[in-house]
Amino acid sequence: MAISRRVFVKSGGLALFSIGLDPLFLARAAFAAYRPSSPTAADRRPVLVCLFQRGAVDGLNMIVPHGDPLYYRERPRIAVPQEDVVDLDGYFGLHPRLAALKPLWDNKSLAAIHAIGSPDSSRSHFDAQDYMESGTPGSKATPDGWLNRYCQHDQEHQDTPFRAVAFGPQLPRILAGTAPSLAIDDLQAFGLRAPQPAARDRLTRAFEELYAGSATGLLSASSQEAFQAVQMLKHVDPGQYQPAGGADYPRGRFGRALLQIAQLIKADLGLQVAFADVTGWDTHVNQGSSEGQLATRLAEFGQALTAFAQDLGEKLRDVVVLTMSEFGRTVRENGNSGTDHGHATAMLVMGGSVNGGRVLGKWPGLDPANRFEGRDVAVTTDFRDLFAEVLARHLGAQNLAAIFPGFVPDQTRFPGAIRS
Amino acid sequence: MKTRVLACVCGVLAAWPLRGATAQTPILTPRDSALHALNRLAYGPRPGEVDRVAAAGVMQWIDRQLSPSKIDDHALAERERAFDILDYDRGDLAKLYLDAERERRERKRAAGADSAERPDQNPVAQRERRLGGEFADLAVVRAALSERQLYEVMVDFWTNHFNVFLAKGADRFLTPSYIEQTIRPRALSKFEDLLIATAKSPAMLFYLDNWESVAPGSMPPQAMRLRARPLFGPRPMFGRPPLFDPGRDPMRADSLRRQAAERMPKGINENYARELLELHTLGVDGGYTQQDVIAVARIFTGWSVRRPQQGGDFEFHDWAHDYGEKVVLGVTFPAGHGMDEGVRLLKLLADHAATMHHVSRKLCQRFVNDDPPDGCVDDAVAAWRRSHGDIRDVLRAIFRSPDFWAPENARAKIKTPLEFVVSATRAVAADPDTTPRLAQVVARLGEPLYLHVAPDGYPEREEAWVNSGALLDRMNAAVALAAGKLPGVTVSLDSIVPATPEGEDLVAAVNERILGGTMSENTKAVIRRQISDVSDPVQARALAIGLAIGGPEFQRQ
Repeated sequence: MAISRRVFVKSGGLALFSIGLDPLFLARAAFAAYRPSSPTAADRRPVLVCLFQRGAVDGLNMIVPHGDPLYYRERPRIAVPQEDVVDLDGYFGLHPRLAALKPLWDNKSLAAIHAIGSPDSSRSHFDAQDYMESGTPGSKATPDGWLNRYCQHDQEHQDTPFRAVAFGPQLPRILAGTAPSLAIDDLQAFGLRAPQPAARDRLTRAFEELYAGSATGLLSASSQEAFQAVQMLKHVDPGQYQPAGGADYPRGRFGRALLQIAQLIKADLGLQVAFADVTGWDTHVNQGSSEGQLATRLAEFGQALTAFAQDLGEKLRDVVVLTMSEFGRTVRENGNSGTDHGHATAMLVMGGSVNGGRVLGKWPGLDPANRFEGRDVAVTTDFRDLFAEVLARHLGAQNLAAIFPGFVPDQTRFPGAIRS
Repeated sequence: MKTRVLACVCGVLAAWPLRGATAQTPILTPRDSALHALNRLAYGPRPGEVDRVAAAGVMQWIDRQLSPSKIDDHALAERERAFDILDYDRGDLAKLYLDAERERRERKRAAGADSAERPDQNPVAQRERRLGGEFADLAVVRAALSERQLYEVMVDFWTNHFNVFLAKGADRFLTPSYIEQTIRPRALSKFEDLLIATAKSPAMLFYLDNWESVAPGSMPPQAMRLRARPLFGPRPMFGRPPLFDPGRDPMRADSLRRQAAERMPKGINENYARELLELHTLGVDGGYTQQDVIAVARIFTGWSVRRPQQGGDFEFHDWAHDYGEKVVLGVTFPAGHGMDEGVRLLKLLADHAATMHHVSRKLCQRFVNDDPPDGCVDDAVAAWRRSHGDIRDVLRAIFRSPDFWAPENARAKIKTPLEFVVSATRAVAADPDTTPRLAQVVARLGEPLYLHVAPDGYPEREEAWVNSGALLDRMNAAVALAAGKLPGVTVSLDSIVPATPEGEDLVAAVNERILGGTMSENTKAVIRRQISDVSDPVQARALAIGLAIGGPEFQRQ
């Protein structure tokens, strides 16, 4: 993949001058003027929301294989009792604190993929998260994230600063790269701050003039995006947002991020790719079963997803939510009533185009003979097969090989999460 | 004859400061040269400093910066005394961290898992967090106040080159001593010394997992003891008393023993070996193979930490070392060697051509241009070869390189968040306090110090730092600083830019004192227009300075 941002030529054997025009800069300049998309296009614009469960969620207690006695044998203290599991298909079931998601399962808007993960065997959070976000397991030198590469290779939608937005103080690895993307910690605070609106507008205009007249290169492109985004947000008035459909988002950063994503989707600002993360899954000690530490995290997670679906209402038909986590956890509970770093986990896909109501992926079972290194759920679906399917079938991505370098996307391996 | 040779040498030495400047056309003016040097070798000029450095001679100033021990820095030393964190050693910090963890767990248990009460709201945890924040602030304060500016710049460079992640388990208490005792004393020494010191540092051994890399099948002598290996991880488990006394319950003792044995590291961990080659020395294209990575990992088996839960020191575990023969980059490491072969390998790597090129290139990227010119890298490599990796000689070669002084490289780099905040603080001669608040501003702008999770450290290139949200945040920070409302610093502008009702005087003063004369005509016109209807001169001054620091010129260096 060509990341070369500049063309240099050697001059006088000593100095180098930048003579080429940066392709990113050109691309951004070309799209700098906001073109409102036509109403029909805006209506049906597909949106992908990626949610990262950082810390490695225990897939076995999220989507519980309650039909397997081995599950109960290996987890005497932390297994979810059969009578508590929200059954899905007679073998798998939802953790009881995810019960709110059952209606979405029943109306086929929610699917789970089990035994999914990375071909790389790392049990390091840092490496595994890095690989899942770069989309190149085993290779650390990849400079950008796969969501950003998608944006680089599909420029059709690149007409608004809100195309790719990560909620949080920094741009995550998954969106790092040459395609423009916004990092927004709080929509309400995005922009210049001043005590009164008049002072704020004046300050905004002043900086806009400064950058329009004096900035060059990336500073110029990014500042233009910033001021367009601020201008567009002004009409949205994020402070006044009321979730629809009685949606009750959980308090905290994650619920707030999903609320703001829903708000951006409804504001029709051209959002195509959104990202947020949610922490607290690294349950080495006292993980709990139907109640307890993991249950509390799952309750927040499920409540946020449910509220998001309710809030979007009809609009959910154009949205796919994809959850991911760097790896799963050990099949057997450890000596501290918790679980240690494992291999495969479970991921969820929710939305209108989802082939829902089923647990997808090839289930390798919990038999020790079929486990990875004798201890963990084996990976039978490479996470890139799911990500590639979502990009291709939901967003219409063409160039999957460029988005996942070193990986040959093959439709026959797609888990079948999206209706084709 | 001898005298003549000596005189010649002296002549050359006296002339070199000018070589760079005279070899190029067009050339930087003495004032521009001073500003350039202050932007790159320092965290930006303080008011009046450009003129002082230009008057005294920029090369003399650079020479002085290359010998930091000769620069009086008592004001900073005075300020450092206010930082409690410097009174704590690794052991103290480890104890504090473990106490905080225990307290957190006990509160959590007492409150019930579902309780809304935050278990980290306890005094011990708060003290631990405060010290962590204070440590990040110390870096910002040193960068802002030290007279040894180049030294502080290099500390930041090596901190990123040899990155560790403060939030990974034991690194929470191992990182401060890593910075104070491993990085800082060697920031301008020989690369080899720095490399060996980081390889032996508990913070690095823990961060890149080498402390539990063992030859397959090896067993510690005390393997059968319960809790043979302390458990670390993002959620460590410490010191819970067993429910039963294992001694009296043979079945339970057996199961605990089995669990302890299961937790024993069972083989090599390649993490450090790979990053050592890829990031610390040869570079990703340095010509090594996966077999080299494995051989390097085998060489470092047994490089571990003594009692990390007590903040312990480096310890070589004889029993964990792989004594077989290894081949790295075609060099044979014969069987039967212990810790000495690791040191031999580090020396070999430090002196390897690929390392010279990789690290020199990174230095040129930091000091000259995001895409460093080959000429400057070649000069640095030549100096490395001559001096066997003396960092000061390598830096001197870069600062003598015509590329460093080429006008197109002046203001060619975007400031990192740390550089932006510190240079803004210096530009208005603001006085930072000892609370973590200024470091939090740096964090909000995207660079929380010591918290870069991946081993590559914070990036140097502009794409990493310029995005719309980050730019708006910089503008907000600039406006707050100029209004005296930026948390963590005290600003008194009167001595720098006097409040004046004369708009033209104000714009000129801000340009000269704060932007070092680099203000564009557009910026002047915008500021002039903006202050024209502000009747209060103090408010006009704040607005003008806020726009200047938040504007495009000040983002560059």
